[in-house]
Parts: sequence; C-alpha cells; structure tokens
Amino acid sequence: MHEYLTTKQIVDFVLNEAEKHKAKKVLEVQLVIGKLTVLGVEQVKFYYELLTKETVMENSKLTIEEEEPLVKCENCGYNGGINLKCEDVYHFFIPVLSCPKCGKPVKIVKGKEVLVKSIRVAV
Amino acid sequence: MKEIIKLEKTETIETEKDILEVNKKIAEENREIFESYGIRAFDVMGSVGAGKTSLIEKLVGRLKGKYSIAVINGDLTTTIDADIIGKHNVRVVQINTGRECHLEAHMIKKALEKIDLKKTNLLFIENVGNLICPSDFRLGTEKRVVVISVTEGQYVVVKHPLTFLDADIVVINKIDLAEVMGVNLDKLEDEIKNINPNIKTVRTNCRNGTGIEDLIRLLNL
Repeated sequence: MHEYLTTKQIVDFVLNEAEKHKAKKVLEVQLVIGKLTVLGVEQVKFYYELLTKETVMENSKLTIEEEEPLVKCENCGYNGGINLKCEDVYHFFIPVLSCPKCGKPVKIVKGKEVLVKSIRVAV
Repeated sequence: MKEIIKLEKTETIETEKDILEVNKKIAEENREIFESYGIRAFDVMGSVGAGKTSLIEKLVGRLKGKYSIAVINGDLTTTIDADIIGKHNVRVVQINTGRECHLEAHMIKKALEKIDLKKTNLLFIENVGNLICPSDFRLGTEKRVVVISVTEGQYVVVKHPLTFLDADIVVINKIDLAEVMGVNLDKLEDEIKNINPNIKTVRTNCRNGTGIEDLIRLLNL
C-alpha cells in the first residue's frame, strides 16, 4: 500500500546521487527488498516506471533482488534462514519466529530492509 | 563521411542505502525522548473496527488516576477517535495522514511538540486502521500492541503473518461474539504463537471491560 511513497523515496535518492556524480543518465538501479517487508515488488516496478518518466532515470533498468530473511537463535546459536510453516489451509509459506533447529524463539537479523544497493550511471 | 561512435563512460555508484533507515533513525530519536522524560509509550495497531479506540478508552479510564496520559490518534481523516478519548480529559493529538496508510516516526516526533512531555508519563499511539502497512514503520515505542477482533474471522492471523512477527502483545477483542461468529479463540491464539512464540495474548471485550486488567498487567502498568 505504501509502495508509491517508498518508490518515490528511492527515485528521489537515486536522482540526488546521479546529480552529485554529474551523471547524464541513470542506466541501472539495483534494489534489495527484504521478504519481511510488506512491499509488493510488482507495484514498486510499476511506480518506478511512472516516477522516472522525464528524468535522467527514464528507461533505466530496475533490478530487484528479494532478500531471504535471516534469523539468529540465542539458545542454540543457529544463524540462518527463517523457519517457514506450510499448512494446507494457508496455501502459502508463513515465516515463523521459532528456531528451525531447537524450536526456541529467534530474532530477525535480516529481511526488513529496502536497500538501494548500487546505481550505474553514464557520465 | 566519417562516422564517430562515442563510447559512453559508465560508473557504478555503490550506495547500500536503506530507504527505511530514515524512519528507523527518527524512531530511535523518539525512543530517546520517551526515555529522557520517563514516558512509557505503546503503539496500538490493528484493522479498522478491531477496537483500538475502545481499548485505549478503557485503558485511559482505568489508568488516568495513576498516570499522566497523552494519546496520539492516527487516521486518514476526521477527529472522531480523538473526540472519544478527549472526553476523558487527557491530552489528545490527532494526526490526519490524508492518504497515508500508516503512521511514521516523523509524524510522532511532530505530534510530541504538542504534548507537555514533562507532565506526561504514559503515551498511547493509535495507529491508522490497517493490519498490514504499519508493521514496516516502528515509531520508537516500548511495545507494539496489535488488536484483532473475532469479527475479522478465523483466518485474520494467518492472512497477515508479517504484522505478528514484529508485535509484542496481541489483544483478541470482541470475545463475546466468538460463538456467534464461529471463531475458535484457542486456535486463533495458537496461530499467533506459532508465528511468534514471544507474543503474549490477552482476550478482551472492550465494551464491558473484560480482560482490561489482564492487559494492564501485561503492559506492566
């Protein structure tokens, strides 16, 4: 729902960076979206195209990498992917905060970021 | 005729910029403000009609003799909720977000300017009625309380798992309607704890005050 606002922030940030580097054109933007955010990738792409029109970012390639969540267990020391639960009723994998190894509660380390990883520009 | 091909010089800018970082930073600033003034702050989230306002109203009613309370109400439009809470003679600030589907930390920081922080030691923030978006935006509060109600159906939890990953307490409201709605409260509770074993749950009926004392104990108030 807040994809417009977030994409606007991304575009504003990239335009600012492009200006700082005196870029003639932005060719590619690499984005990382954590799977634990509630941002829809397709909607981000849609707004990106819309918001970059008539700017140096127009027609630039948007690459989105969806980042797998990482968790840490303070009980057994597990450090890795989040436990996923799948039941017939869900028709979907649900991330759960119990350790895949020992079952105790875990802490989220990664998966809630929206990262502008890199920008490729023509100078 | 000569043809000249001009090769474009390209450059890659490594940024590693977290777009949500601005909110995280301001949330941290809010948390420092709460700490420095000794204010206990709670973010109350949940769908439209789950009972967030009724819950805060009941909490304010029970706690206003013990604490100096302020309430921040978030809504797209209207001051309906602020007016309801305002009847209890506590400081109320309404944030009308216009189009935004959630509150953000900077909105809270601005609202805090309207509150006498020296005379406040308990703050409830009622987020915009939405069970999805607020989860991406921490406000700097000590705890996040999610209110769900049985009228949202049996599958409200499994349909919105991300909200429960980042919550501390879940209030299951309107329990008096569970039977007529055909909602199994134990199953609902199991599903919440399955997603996040750290969550504490409490069953309430905000109309008659059932469960409010349990919640007050859970909030350590």
